Amino acid sequence: MRRTLRGSLVTLTVSALLLSACGGSSDSDAAAGDEPRKPGEKVELNFWSWAPEMDKTVEVFNEAHPDIHVTVNKQDGGDPAVTKLLTAIKAGSGAPDLMQAEYQALPTMVGAGALADIKGQLGDDVQGHFAEGTWNAVTLGTDAVYAVPQDAAPLMFYYRADVLEKLKIEVPTTWDEYAAAARKINEDDPKKFLGTFSSNDAGLFAGLTQQAGASWWGIDGDAWNVAIDSEPSQKVAQYWGGLVEEGVIDNTPMYTPSWNAALNDGSQVGWVSAVWAPGVLAGNAADTEGKWKVAPIPQWNAGESVTGAWGGSATAVTSQSKNKAAAAEFAAWLNTSAEGVKALASISNVYPADTQNSAAALSEPPAFFKDQPDFYEIAAGVSGTVNSFTYGPNTNVAYSAFNDAFGKAATAKKAAAFGEALSTMQTQTLEDLKANGFNVK
Amino acid sequence: MKTAQQKPSLVGTGVLLVGAVYCLIPVVWVLMASSKTSSELFTTFTYAPGTSLFSNIADLTAYRDGLFWRWMANTGLYAGAGAALSTLVSAMAGYAMAKYRFPGRGALFNILLAGVLVPGVILAVPQYLLFAELGMTNTYWAVLLPSIISPYGIYLARIYVSASVPDEVIEAARTDGAQDWRIFRSVVLPMMVPGLVTVFLFQFVAIWNNFLLPYVMLGDDKLFPVTVGLSGLLNQGAQQPAMYSLVIPGALLSILPLLALFLLLQRFWQVDLAAGAVKS
Amino acid sequence: MTSVTNDLVSATAQKDPPSGSRRARIPRAPYVFMVPAVALFVFSIAIPILYTAYLSLRTVKVEGLGLGPGARTEVWAGLSNYGRTLSDPDFLSSVLRVLGYGLVVIPVMLGLALLFALLLDSVRVRATRFSRLVIFMPYAVPAVISSLLWGFLYLPAVSPFTHAAEQVGITLPQPMAPGLVLFAIANIAVWGGVGFNMIVLYTALKAIPSDLYEAARIDGCSELQIAWRIKIPIIVPSLIMTSVFGMITTLQVFAEPTVLRPLTNNISTSWSPLMMIYRDAFTRNDIYAASATSVVLAVATFVLSFGFLRLVQNRAFAQENR
Repeated sequence: MRRTLRGSLVTLTVSALLLSACGGSSDSDAAAGDEPRKPGEKVELNFWSWAPEMDKTVEVFNEAHPDIHVTVNKQDGGDPAVTKLLTAIKAGSGAPDLMQAEYQALPTMVGAGALADIKGQLGDDVQGHFAEGTWNAVTLGTDAVYAVPQDAAPLMFYYRADVLEKLKIEVPTTWDEYAAAARKINEDDPKKFLGTFSSNDAGLFAGLTQQAGASWWGIDGDAWNVAIDSEPSQKVAQYWGGLVEEGVIDNTPMYTPSWNAALNDGSQVGWVSAVWAPGVLAGNAADTEGKWKVAPIPQWNAGESVTGAWGGSATAVTSQSKNKAAAAEFAAWLNTSAEGVKALASISNVYPADTQNSAAALSEPPAFFKDQPDFYEIAAGVSGTVNSFTYGPNTNVAYSAFNDAFGKAATAKKAAAFGEALSTMQTQTLEDLKANGFNVK
Repeated sequence: MKTAQQKPSLVGTGVLLVGAVYCLIPVVWVLMASSKTSSELFTTFTYAPGTSLFSNIADLTAYRDGLFWRWMANTGLYAGAGAALSTLVSAMAGYAMAKYRFPGRGALFNILLAGVLVPGVILAVPQYLLFAELGMTNTYWAVLLPSIISPYGIYLARIYVSASVPDEVIEAARTDGAQDWRIFRSVVLPMMVPGLVTVFLFQFVAIWNNFLLPYVMLGDDKLFPVTVGLSGLLNQGAQQPAMYSLVIPGALLSILPLLALFLLLQRFWQVDLAAGAVKS
Repeated sequence: MTSVTNDLVSATAQKDPPSGSRRARIPRAPYVFMVPAVALFVFSIAIPILYTAYLSLRTVKVEGLGLGPGARTEVWAGLSNYGRTLSDPDFLSSVLRVLGYGLVVIPVMLGLALLFALLLDSVRVRATRFSRLVIFMPYAVPAVISSLLWGFLYLPAVSPFTHAAEQVGITLPQPMAPGLVLFAIANIAVWGGVGFNMIVLYTALKAIPSDLYEAARIDGCSELQIAWRIKIPIIVPSLIMTSVFGMITTLQVFAEPTVLRPLTNNISTSWSPLMMIYRDAFTRNDIYAASATSVVLAVATFVLSFGFLRLVQNRAFAQENR
């Protein structure tokens, strides 16, 4: 709660800053940059997205809107798309009208002037479709609205129900129980692990510290602060470092052929991941269909119920779009209308951020979890418990520092090295902000 | 060459065959792996063949309405047209520098040759910004145009012309009243063919291998060459599984045309040009 | 093109000595022939290089929180980007790492290429057609794809080697462990390059007139002695050329470590200088720092290869610049 209060204070200062910064230039009013629309003329919009089958989802919109036509350009995934967009912005041309953007990339993109403020183009009812934390992620705590939330990605715990049952292990509800379960599984078979610490997935680690109460960046007046090396983050780093040092958790990266093989042959029997995990498991570990179950993520304090997020994205309108009003109309349709949300969930297989329509859209569990009919009830239960977290204008710097620093720590297999890696990240991120002239506290 | 009375060397033959086996390891692996379903890929012994080569290829063909084959066609276009144009440009420049004396020749050659040293990664960003300035990113031209200039090709063409086109032939044509362009087209070009095949193949491989330029320039995956397309299927971000059962047969199919091209043009290929050694 | 005149009938056809008296007439044709190459060079290489040099002297200045339009402005940075590059321990260690990598790749690759070329050229070796084709084949495989394939072979869980070794009770070292990862990357480069260099050297060997060593053979010299005393000394120039080209590609190593990086903890985002440039330009969105690093690297490559350039010209064009 404290954070929300501070957030609204921040909102005031930031919006004052923004007003003085842009001085009524054309960018401050998105629609002013639009080319006039002649009646009867069809508006062509370009949409960069990496969600599967997005072109078919968009087809639903195109059929219902004869005056707007959206074309999807499939992207390779969140990071390459951001890179391309920022380069196009720097070059002054080449950006699409609409862009699927991960929440952690929004401050970087806003900072580069890549996104349009579409507050004026969205109806007043849009905000009501989303949880407060989700909405904060697209406003960055300012008065502007830089995107419409598309999918949410609360962290959950996936486990091989058959393996836990065989070893008579209760599903862990706290991190202590998780550690005990990991030891027991590894003791039973030294080739089996309840998880791995992946130095390639900064997003997951950020989500885990988010659950513990960290927020890596913060806005303090007109200055940023960096709190990567904070007490909650250290707790998470030491915890995983300890498990790696003990050897009861694997230390090799995720999303490698090895990891796929380990999931498929039953060497990896647990995965802390987000709500989108079933799609990945189905693709990587087809042999284990029906053996996995999901539970809320283990807690630091018994009885609590908080989680973090890994991934999740929003639909943004770029500052180069010449049809911002039409683009905003599409973004609102995709993410808040009953048909749009249903298409997102059923065709593109994402977990919509919309809280009003998603229950209707998600009546069936994912095919890979067909034996767990309450899959989406559990997901809906935890998605309201995501801790607040602020991403910074150089999230990409922090994430690449994570890769290098935690890569070394994971190889060293020492809990102390994990703690040091965190302070390396803190230093590099802070230095980068200073070197670029940001106000930093 | 081989004389019958020489006793075959077991050691020598053995060493050579070990080298051949070393070079075959990944190729045989990709052949085997292409025939596996994704769960076979991650469970069965990796050098045993799987059961579904053709269904994998069918899946790959079905992926987004045959996008893979479009990538293959794009690669053919970038590498084929790019290398052909590059060969022509290199031939003209190489001929001019080998057979004419003109002020600035040495300086031009040195500057062009220094281009050999500039890595593509360094050029990718400024090239992108330049093309964006002209509104040409995300088009075929964005990949084709930078692929046409090949300092190395010019260097090879120059060496080849000076070694294999005698001045007397040019002079004879000129005495017959032929003009410069005509001499180049009808007399010099035909004599350069073996050298130009080499320049073409080098540039073809270079464009085929160049990952970063198309990766940076193109946003629309209908324009991708096959390397960029396949890498996209692997790196889908955390929320999508990597499509190994599509990428591996894709990798196999993507190297086949290049192998065929090599086999076809092998006997025209004067690799020794690369070492600056030209038989005269 | 059709308007090319025959100026050079007078300029070159009459074969004046270079110091001749007809210097006054400058031929037009060679310039016309050069136009496409020069235009494309300027457009695709020269302007981008100059632009890189310009960017290396610039930086972005951020106002306050850096949010909203107009919060970032590009300003002159003087040489501060260069200062950052040259004092960055990551950059220095990536340069040293790549030099070490070159010391592994170049001798091994060229040593093997020379060995195979000599074997192909030897009269006593069989299976040469097959071997030549197979050893050359990797040249046709793009580095992005070959790294992907080797990546599979390196990962213990999916590697056939680990599997086979386990059957006989041996535990193989992991190729991507901290001390070995450099060799794992070097192996991919050697695999991709050995066949091409083998063919280059083999062609040079074939160009040696056989009467040069037939006499030695009749005198009872062994194949080994012929190779060592006659063949290798003759193809030394080819060996120098292939080494220099090997050096240039080694300094530019990028695709192999980039593809392997996500598979292991032991390849950092600044493993090689080009990876660092890529990271700064594309992941960290700091093209100014990346440009400065690019310029430093390009100058270093240039200085290293300068001697080679002179060498090439003196050798390859000696007969032409009479």
